[in-house]
Amino acid sequence: VFNWKSAALFLGTGAGLLLYFRSEKERVEKLREEKSKETVKAYGKPKIGGPFNLINAENGQRFDSTKELSGKFYMVYFGFTHCPDICPEELDKMAEVVDMAKEKKEPLVPVFITCDPRRDSEEIVKEYVKDFHPDMIGLTGDQDEIRKVAKSFRVYVSSPPSVEEGEDYLVDHSIFFYLMDPDGKFVDCYAKDTTAEEVASSYEKYYKEYYNNQKK
Amino acid sequence: MTAESTKPPTRQERQHCWKLRDEYFACLDRLTIVDPVIVEKEPEKAKECLEKKSKYEDACMASWVEYFNKRRVLDVKQREYLEFSKQQSGK
Repeated sequence: VFNWKSAALFLGTGAGLLLYFRSEKERVEKLREEKSKETVKAYGKPKIGGPFNLINAENGQRFDSTKELSGKFYMVYFGFTHCPDICPEELDKMAEVVDMAKEKKEPLVPVFITCDPRRDSEEIVKEYVKDFHPDMIGLTGDQDEIRKVAKSFRVYVSSPPSVEEGEDYLVDHSIFFYLMDPDGKFVDCYAKDTTAEEVASSYEKYYKEYYNNQKK
Repeated sequence: MTAESTKPPTRQERQHCWKLRDEYFACLDRLTIVDPVIVEKEPEKAKECLEKKSKYEDACMASWVEYFNKRRVLDVKQREYLEFSKQQSGK
């Protein structure tokens, strides 16, 4: 039998249920969102890279990454100055990425580390990196130090075993950009076949993600 | 060689080397010669390219010449392989 009381009760229950479902849905979605953010972190990043202490070609001083690069995103490339074409191309590409990032006010420090400390002295490295970008930091060191850093970045480096003074040779090495975050942690690496635009837009994503997470 | 040889090429020198390399390789392309080693062994086969060859070898470091020559062979082989596999998959 239809009467106003039961109609009101019916509508009241309906509205109540609707409100309840809505708030539940929001709560579940919020949980899901937070969980997805967590899982990204939970998988963890591979243990690539780490702190390093080399010689800054610019001034011959010690360069401690935990001091000089703390609080900054930076990108590392391992190469050697006698490299025929790949290193210059990759470094030009890195310079482009740095400029694109600068335009977006998302600073990125380019770092070049030589795999050929035997020939690549400070003066030579300094001259070399100047050619690519004014912000580019060039680092060298002794064979052991360089070997240690290359190892921590899982960079494969191979020089010919017995080389004499002044001899002409090439060094085999893996070709990647290693993106490191302001905490000195590895973020991502980019292979030779990625374009400057691809690297720059990927960097932008990581940059925003990092600083968004900082706010929380 | 003097200490000069340990100084790396500048950007201009690099580009100059690449340019002369490309000119030499284009000449070899016209003669359908892939491996520049053939020219070393039998220079009569590439008479018209010999001048370009010596310009290229003068402009580029020896290690680079060797590297570019080897890379040329690899690149051609790779291209041929890709063509082949494309044809295969087309069938």
